[in-house]
Formats: sequence, C-alpha cells, structure tokens
Amino acid sequence: MAKAGAVFLLLVALDVLFGIASFEGSSQPRDETLLYRFKTDAPTLDPALAHDTTSSTVLQCIVDGLVEQDPLTLEVIPELAESWEISEDRTVYTFHLRQGVTFHNGREVTAEDFKYSMERVLNPATAADQRWVLEEIKGADAFDGKAVKHVEGIEVLDAYTLRITIKQPYEPFLGLLSMEAGSPVPREEVERLGEDFASQPTGCGPYKLVRWKRDAVIVLERFDDYWGEKPEIKYIKFKVIPEDMLALEKYWRGEFDLLMEFPVKRQRELLERYPDEAQTWPMLGVYYIAFNHTKPPFKGNLALRQAFNYAVDKQAICDVIMQGVPMPSRGVLPPGFASFEETLEGYPYDLDKAKRLLAEAGYPNGEGLPELTLQFNTSEAHEAICEAIKNDLAEIGVKVRLKNLEWGAHLASIKDHEPELFRCGWLADIPSEDNFLQLLNTGRETNYSGYSDPEYDTLFEQARFSTDPEARRRLYAEVNRLAVEDATWLFIYWYRDVMMVKPYLKGWVKPVQGDFRMPLNTLYFKSPPGS
Amino acid sequence: MGTYILRRLLLAIPVLWGIATAVFFLVFAIPGDPADILMGHHPTEEARKNIEAKYHLDRPILVQYGYFMGRLVQLDLGRSYAHKAAVSAILFERAGATVLLALTSVIIAVIVGMGLGCIGAYNQGSWLDGIVMAISVLGVSVPVFWLGLMGMLLFCKVLGVLPFPDPEITVRHLVLPALTLSALLIGYIARMTRSSLLEVIRQDYVRTARAKGLSKPAVFFKHGLRNALIPVVTIIGLNLASLLGGAIATETVFAWPGIGRAMFQAVGERDVPLIEGGVILLALVFVITNIIVDVSYVALDPRIRLK
Repeated sequence: MAKAGAVFLLLVALDVLFGIASFEGSSQPRDETLLYRFKTDAPTLDPALAHDTTSSTVLQCIVDGLVEQDPLTLEVIPELAESWEISEDRTVYTFHLRQGVTFHNGREVTAEDFKYSMERVLNPATAADQRWVLEEIKGADAFDGKAVKHVEGIEVLDAYTLRITIKQPYEPFLGLLSMEAGSPVPREEVERLGEDFASQPTGCGPYKLVRWKRDAVIVLERFDDYWGEKPEIKYIKFKVIPEDMLALEKYWRGEFDLLMEFPVKRQRELLERYPDEAQTWPMLGVYYIAFNHTKPPFKGNLALRQAFNYAVDKQAICDVIMQGVPMPSRGVLPPGFASFEETLEGYPYDLDKAKRLLAEAGYPNGEGLPELTLQFNTSEAHEAICEAIKNDLAEIGVKVRLKNLEWGAHLASIKDHEPELFRCGWLADIPSEDNFLQLLNTGRETNYSGYSDPEYDTLFEQARFSTDPEARRRLYAEVNRLAVEDATWLFIYWYRDVMMVKPYLKGWVKPVQGDFRMPLNTLYFKSPPGS
Repeated sequence: MGTYILRRLLLAIPVLWGIATAVFFLVFAIPGDPADILMGHHPTEEARKNIEAKYHLDRPILVQYGYFMGRLVQLDLGRSYAHKAAVSAILFERAGATVLLALTSVIIAVIVGMGLGCIGAYNQGSWLDGIVMAISVLGVSVPVFWLGLMGMLLFCKVLGVLPFPDPEITVRHLVLPALTLSALLIGYIARMTRSSLLEVIRQDYVRTARAKGLSKPAVFFKHGLRNALIPVVTIIGLNLASLLGGAIATETVFAWPGIGRAMFQAVGERDVPLIEGGVILLALVFVITNIIVDVSYVALDPRIRLK
C-alpha cells in the first residue's frame, strides 16, 4: 500500500514538473508561423542593452527607429521619421515624425518618447551596453540623469518634431539611428517593469512579444495596429537548438523555414547540391590575425609583417578549411563599401618573397626569431585555421606555438596586448567604413593590435568628419591602402554569409551586414509550409 | 529524526557560505572582465564606467564581496549581468526541465542498473554476468554526446519512433535524453549493486539462512539485496544531486532548456551573479539529497541510528 502511494506521488510529481517544463497553449498554426532557428538564446530584449546579433534579430521585429537602412544598398530610408532636414554645417538634424504610430500597448508615439528613450540609453544608471550608438549627440557626456537632467542635443520642438544636435559633423550618424538602441520605448512600461523590461519589451514594431521561455522559444505575434504594411505571416517562432547537425536535420523535416548557420564541414556540399535552398553572399566582415604592434618582433618591423603575409596561403584556408565560402582578404575594408578598391592586391601567397623579406627583416630562415605565440579563442574552425598558419610559417622557418583560450580570457589577454599574434574578427555593427578602420586608430579600445601611426590617424579623422561623400570615399580608400601597405594585420579572409531557406518561403534578401539584418516582416509563404 | 534533520539543515549554512565564498573569489581569479564581455564588440570608456558603477565592479574585491553577502543573507541572488533578469527567476524557469530530466533518468537507472547488478551477482562468473559487466563498462565509458547522436540516428531517423529533440518538450521528447543520461548511472549502479551483493552473500548470516533451508532466490533477494543497498543508495544520491545541477552535454545535444547550459554560458560571460546563484542552488541540492540518503539508511538498516 505504501509502495503504491509512493509510486502515485512520484507520478504526480512528474506530472507537475511537466507542467512547469513544457508549454500550455502552444498553438500557433503551422501555416501561419515562421520557424526560425537560434543557436543560442537572446540574452536580453531591451533595445538599450542588447548588443548581439541574436537579440537584434528579435528586436528589429519588435521596435522601429527614426530611420532604417536598406539591407542591400545600405541607403538610409524613413521609418518613424517621415522626413528630415540636416543643417548647413551638418550637425543639426530635424526629424518630422509620422503621426498615428502606436506602441503595442496602444499609446501613440510622440517626440517625447524618442527623447525619453535616447536619454535612457545615455543615462549612466541604465549602464547601456549600446551607449556608443548615441555618444555623438551633443551633451551626451555631461548628462548624468541627476544634476544634468536632459541631454542638450535632444530637443522636442512639438509632438511630431524632434531635433538632434551632434558634437561635430559625422555622416554615419543618421545610419546609427537605425540601430535598435535609438528606437522609442514606452516610458510607462519601462517604469512599471523596471529591469524586467528586458524580459518583456514593448515597442512599436510590426510584431509583439507574446512568449519567451529562456533557452527554448521566443514567440512573436503580428501587431495588428502597426502603422506600416502589416506582415503576412502571423507568428514568428524562434527556437533554440545548439547543435548544428540537429538543426539541419529539423530543417529537412520542415521544422524550420530558415537556417542561418549550418555545419562548416558541410557548407560546400550543401551549396553545391541544393543551389535553390543554400544561399551564400558577401557580408561586411573581416577575419584576421593581429600582429602585436606594441612589442618586438613585429613592432616597427614592416618586412617581418610582410613576410608573414606572403607566407600564409589564404586561398587554401578559404578553400579547404572554410569549404570555399569566404574570400581571401586584401585589406581591412571588405567589398561592399563604396571605398573598396578592387585593384588592391594585398599579399598573395608567395614563399620566395616571404623568405626574402624574412631575411630583410633580420631573421634569415627564421634564425634569431624566438618561438611566437598565436592565440585564438575556442572554436573548431579557428583552431584549424591557426594550425594551417602555423604550418605555413614553418615553411619559411618560423616557429609558432598555438594557444587556445576561451573567449573571455582571450579578450582579456589581447586587450593587454599579451600574445605576439592573435585571432580577431570584426562584423560591421554599422555599415560604415569607419566602423572597420577604427580598429587601427590609436587609443581605441578595439585596437587590440596596438597599432599607432600618426598619418593613419590624421587621414582617418579627416575621412570620418568629412561631409563631402566623394572626398570621404577617397579618404577612406586611402586609409585602407595605408593599412595594407603597412601590413598592419596578417590578412586572412572576408566573411561570406550562408543560409538555407525553404523554397516556399519568399520575400527574403541577402543583407550585406549579415543574416541578422534580414527584415522578417516582409517574408511570406508562397504555399503552406510542410505541404 | 526531526531534530536530526533540523541540525543537518543548520549545519548546511556554513557549508553554503563556504562554497559561495570560494566560488566568488574563484570567478575573480579567472581572467576576463565582465564589463568587456557586456559591451560586446563596441566598448567605450563611458559605457565601461557606467557598467562598472552599476554592478560595483569598480570597487575593491572585498567591498564587492560585502555587497554579495549582504544580498545573500536577504535570500536575494541578485540580477544576472547578461540577462538583466533576477537570477532566481532565470534558475526557476529552467528548474522544471532539469528536475524532470534528472528524476526520470535516475528512475530508469535505478530500475535497470539494480536489475542488471542482481542478474550479474546471481549468475556470478557466467556469460550473463559477463554481459552485465560489459554493459556497465560501456555505460560508464561511452560519452554522452556520442550516445545521444547515435540514439537520435536510430530512434528518430532510421526507426522514426521518436520525434527529433525540440526545446518545446513533450513526454515523447523526454525519452531519448533520459535514456542517454541514465546510461552512465546504469553503469555505476549495476557495478555497485553487483559487487556489494557479492560481498554480502559471503557473510555468515547468509550461509545460516541457506542452511536453514531457504531457497537461493529467497536468501538472495530478501537477506542479501536489502543489506547490499546502502552503498548503492549513496551512489544514487550523489548522482541525483549532480544531475539536478544540470547536464551540459545532454542538454546541448538534445536542445533541452535546463540549468546546465545556462550555467555553462554564465561562466563564459563572467556572469558572476548567475554563476553564484547556480552554484549555491546546486550546493543546497547536494546538502538536501545527502540528508535524504542518510535518512534512508535508517529505513534500510535498523541498526543505524541517526544522532
């Protein structure tokens, strides 16, 4: 009797646990639901705080900004601002807002909401990860939310007119406003929820959040009072599947409509066998091995840096390890920018040149050069690439020791300029040249290689604040050329993005900033999924 | 019994304090700065200053420890740096999935493992015993991720009897991860049951029981098994506790939204409050499971007195 009771209790306990663990009311009809795979969950859905591509994918459905950027041409186009004027000196932006736009809670969006939301990002109390997006606004640094109650450069002229003044002319600023951190959020919701707003965000975008179970699923539902064109697909369901192979299997079984990442080892096969479903395209991103410019042997030794660049077979890395997806890089700026120069040669594989330059650098056949450390963060692909570099360098007599660290430790170590050589990558967070070229600007936190060159800095600043598009293009190209001539990095490749998309799904594009910038609200099904 | 449990629970407080303190300083010792990781790829000086001020990262480590302990005595685990949500909410949200998986695996492992152990011991030295030993060695030594993928290949793809893993879990989704996770434990339990049984049946009182004329199975299961269970229960308790702390590999392979993956990510993100919260929860589970194990000794062996 007691035993039967125990078994009964156990069954009840399991049943209760199932209640907590699984889902009630999980009833989005398949033909009205877009199924999208995430490798990891979004850490946070507060537009002021989210800095990763996973969160951005969701947030761009939930919030709208003053402007948006065309995912293909990168042209800035109106979103919540119908139009705008920019002053003669290129520092004062006056935005005329769309009327009748409402938050998901039904309240109308006005200029005050923009002011509140932008100040929230800049307020030290928010400690926003994304503060840099709005740091160019005048008065951003003096504003502390206590003694200085408002940001000088953000003014509400009337309910539908907003004026933003920036510190100095800076052309990419308009594009920055398309980022989620610049979007309006309703003050009443933020104040009601406090920090929990990050788990229950409200915006005025085409979709609203209806459910978020961490590490499992995020469900969005169409916002029926959306000001713009309403999405055709009623629900979007993001599911977290950490394993690439499992995700691919589920894609084949129709359990995903889109797949943004698939196993590196199968990329070539999938691209060749399924040309209709497997897509690849160049994206704004660069993969490189940084030379440590703060100490010997690379500090001040151009010939040595060039020798390394000629010694590494980048084409082989792209073809063999990366399955033919990325392109060997010939500079800092990836193709896709106006200032990209197709004629720039970079450093094609040339062992003879490498050996000659190595001797010129003072290390004939690598003699006298101590064993160097090449550090990378944990990933199968990084490891294979660094292994290949090590072997290539051995060909010219250079000895390299590989060191693998987990991301946080790697970051701390490269910030302190510890290893002589280390792996880095950069994906555009805004599609602007200066987003890449700042990586070699003196004193930047992101200048991990510790490069410092007065000529580079001067030209870079000139380009950055130049208001004439043609002059800016020319200057950026020159800065990029400088970086190549000075062999600032060991250039490896420019990223290309990959995705699998079901034939019945239409309306997708190949965003130059990467798949996370694909607008999901314009997708539609040509025939019901799964049929 | 009541006072015994109460005393054990009170004794758990210094244990939890010690663990919380050790983990706090350990997280500080590993390289990597939470502010760097929070700012992602676009760090600026101002943002760093704000983040450090907000989470007190700019204060001396002992002051930070003070803040942490101050919160802890109020039973507040704080808020996660990365998720900006309350640590208790993050852990609770995943607890259901973790407990469900852990309990199911342990139940499977107890039934199968003890069964195998008995078969092995009963037929000691025979081919059946050999098979039992082989299964238990396999269970202990085969890596979970491999077993999981093979299970998926067989049951989901080839036979098609189970659905592929999905984070929206149903009973059918539970079967494969629970079986996979139980494999290791089956190995342990089977070996422990077998060796413990073999030891017990060599005791004098077992020979006496046989001499009284009792049948072999009766002696074996009635007199032998019960007395052999104490080390087995210990193993079960320890493993249940560690499974309740999450199973990173299994959760990753099967897209299971449990605590293990969350903790693993928290370490990568230097999410100190979440790491702390998870470890304290795990320590608490260990303490409680140990108490339950100790209490169950009394039920198994009346000679044991809890003091």
